[in-house]
Amino acid sequence: MSHSRRTFLLGGLAGAGAGLLTGSAGAEPARPASLAFHGTHQAGVLAPPARQVAFVSFDVIAPDRAGLVALLRTITDRARFLSAGGSPAPEGIAGPPADSGVLGPRIPGGATVTVAVGASLFDHRYGLADRKPAHLKPMRVFANDSLDPAWCHGDLLLQISAVDNDSVLHALRDIMRATRGGMQVRWRIDGFISPPRPSGTPRNLMGFKDGTANPDVTNGSEMDRLVWAGAGEPGWAADGTYLVVRLIRMLVEFWDRVSLSEQENMFGRRKDTGAPLSGSVESDLPDYHADPVGSVIPLTSHIRRANPRTAETDASRILRRGYNYDRGVDGAGNLDMGLVFTCFQQDIGRQFEATQERLADEPLTDYIAPFGGGYFFVLPGVPGADVYFGQPLVG
Amino acid sequence: MSSTHPTRRRLLAGGVVAVAAAVVAGVLVFARDGGAPPAPAAAPAAAPAAEPVVAGTSNCGKGWAPHAGDQTVQVVNRGTAATDVEVVAIPSGAVHGELEGLGAGLTRPLRVVLGGGDYAIRCGVEDVSPITGPVVHVAGPPGPAGVVPVTANDLAGPLEQYTGYVTTGLTTLVRRTTELRDAVRAGDLGKARSAWLPAHLAYVRLGAAYGAFGDADGAIDGDPGGLPRGVADPGFTGFRRLEHGLWHGQSAKQLTPVADKLAADVAALRKSFPRSQIDPRDLGLRAHEIFEDVDRETLTGGADQGSHSELAEVAASLDATKELVGVLRLVLTTRYPRLSEVDSGMARLASLLAGLRPYRPLGSLPRADRARLNGSVGDLVEKLAPIAVICAPRRTS
Repeated sequence: MSHSRRTFLLGGLAGAGAGLLTGSAGAEPARPASLAFHGTHQAGVLAPPARQVAFVSFDVIAPDRAGLVALLRTITDRARFLSAGGSPAPEGIAGPPADSGVLGPRIPGGATVTVAVGASLFDHRYGLADRKPAHLKPMRVFANDSLDPAWCHGDLLLQISAVDNDSVLHALRDIMRATRGGMQVRWRIDGFISPPRPSGTPRNLMGFKDGTANPDVTNGSEMDRLVWAGAGEPGWAADGTYLVVRLIRMLVEFWDRVSLSEQENMFGRRKDTGAPLSGSVESDLPDYHADPVGSVIPLTSHIRRANPRTAETDASRILRRGYNYDRGVDGAGNLDMGLVFTCFQQDIGRQFEATQERLADEPLTDYIAPFGGGYFFVLPGVPGADVYFGQPLVG
Repeated sequence: MSSTHPTRRRLLAGGVVAVAAAVVAGVLVFARDGGAPPAPAAAPAAAPAAEPVVAGTSNCGKGWAPHAGDQTVQVVNRGTAATDVEVVAIPSGAVHGELEGLGAGLTRPLRVVLGGGDYAIRCGVEDVSPITGPVVHVAGPPGPAGVVPVTANDLAGPLEQYTGYVTTGLTTLVRRTTELRDAVRAGDLGKARSAWLPAHLAYVRLGAAYGAFGDADGAIDGDPGGLPRGVADPGFTGFRRLEHGLWHGQSAKQLTPVADKLAADVAALRKSFPRSQIDPRDLGLRAHEIFEDVDRETLTGGADQGSHSELAEVAASLDATKELVGVLRLVLTTRYPRLSEVDSGMARLASLLAGLRPYRPLGSLPRADRARLNGSVGDLVEKLAPIAVICAPRRTS
């Protein structure tokens, strides 16, 4: 099947797949400059997304279980320090400086490192096969994916987020330097969230407001139903959650050659205001009952497929976090930019995959190319200073 | 002349470094202040407005009142020549912090972490014996150990031992390079391809001596980087040039002059080496720089000209590094607490390489093996890096 043929006018001929490129309105509260490191859950899950982020997937190369424990301890120590900040001890004449100095002599803190593990960590290497989270498996291939194996999966994933890009890069260098013998980068992508233009939810690189038909993170029972690991999980996994990462290139040159009304019909929202096509401001809820055949918001539109807002689809809602990425130019001279789609959920099959299946045939698939990503389990939080990430799993 | 090994640091004489730093600092300060005397640098953390500690040939250490824990003091050079400033434990002489090349008239912060014990400020001015200031007692729990400085004298034995290793290695290199040249001359390019690797590896094993080889290093093992015509540039010579020809279908006739020049350069190097000197500082620096080159040139595939002998090169680089760590072991044992991790890192890499035999091209390694190789080298080179700092020779008397 051709990837670049529009299916907008052709109806249901396109394959399945596509990222979840937009949600409904409702800007989230600002993220505090620094998140508490210790807690039942990892801080980087429910917190409002930071402006700058890196997703870095690693192959774990620790030779044995003890090496894996040492690796997780080191990651914990570094993450704790990068969150709190402080001055690295001077080395005197005993070695090169302990810190890169990228943030100056005193590390301000505020970098949030979120640690997740992939299904491959539960193979034969570390004796963890019987401890795998119930819903963890390798990311599946969806119909119109163009997956590059070099950009997929991984034993361990770090989501490193901060207000500024230099803090993210500082944290990445710090962690990699301390863990070279325990893990090696498999793939890495940096993402960012644009400022509101001019207000409300930030825009993606297709020019649409991209954000927040999200569950209410302040509603504990909703989080227990939709985000945190639920029944049927191994005991150690309580307070963890599943993370899906999808690297989705946007074919922005092609997109920019499409008429405004066609673009808006594909999303189901106005490009200027972000309002649903059935409303007038961004915060209006889309009205599907009054529009059963999709004459206002097309049945194939992205927002309608992703979240039909019915009782049956309520349990498939996800906590989505989208970041823009920009990684240069391809061999044809076209810009390589797009979306790092991520979402947190209790059950990847019930939530992300069900949503993704509803998006099959959506016209937007022709303007995007998912090329990587993976499924991961976000480890439970580190409750205190003497505990490390994954201790209940490997300890 | 093709370029030499890219990550090999060029060494400056210590005095030149100090003077250059002073001059640069002075220029910056005077440019800003329009010729006025330099103002003291702002204190980074606590202790504002305290009188700076004096360094230089007179009153070295005057005004220093340390306490236990992490502290930053301002140090001013009131003399007329640049000075090195060290915080040393008494009587062990272990260094806890230092400022290199504090220019005349300048003030800079010096940060140290001290435990309970006796300490002094030591000032080292070019051409003058180091001066140790008043001994100050610090009350408190034990702190970091500090490192007893390595002197040129400490490095004399290792240097002699390493020079012997290089001398022996050069003999092997000459023999193998002659075999390689003879095969090319005889027109037996299959045999030449087989002879190329052992000869090249004999050179790789001499990794810490490249600085002493001078321009010969570029002629013998340079890469085409920086040459206007790249691999076709007449300045591209040596092992890599021959490798390029042998694995790119060039004829024996084309390659005979290349092989002749390589064999001549290698023979000349063996002859001249006894009259050249390995800088003692090279021993510590090369301990990690041999693997910095591996990380940058070999593991990326960047150095390869067709033989795909990357894994053999990594193994030969490990031999070279092992030799260096071996000759420095006595110096390091009391100074480098993580020396055992260097040993375990080298053992891990050795066992990984053994498991990858027979060696195949780097590009055909399974992803997991490549990650393990990259990680083992990366881990090792991190643990080797402090050796360069610890083994930089310092004057103590």
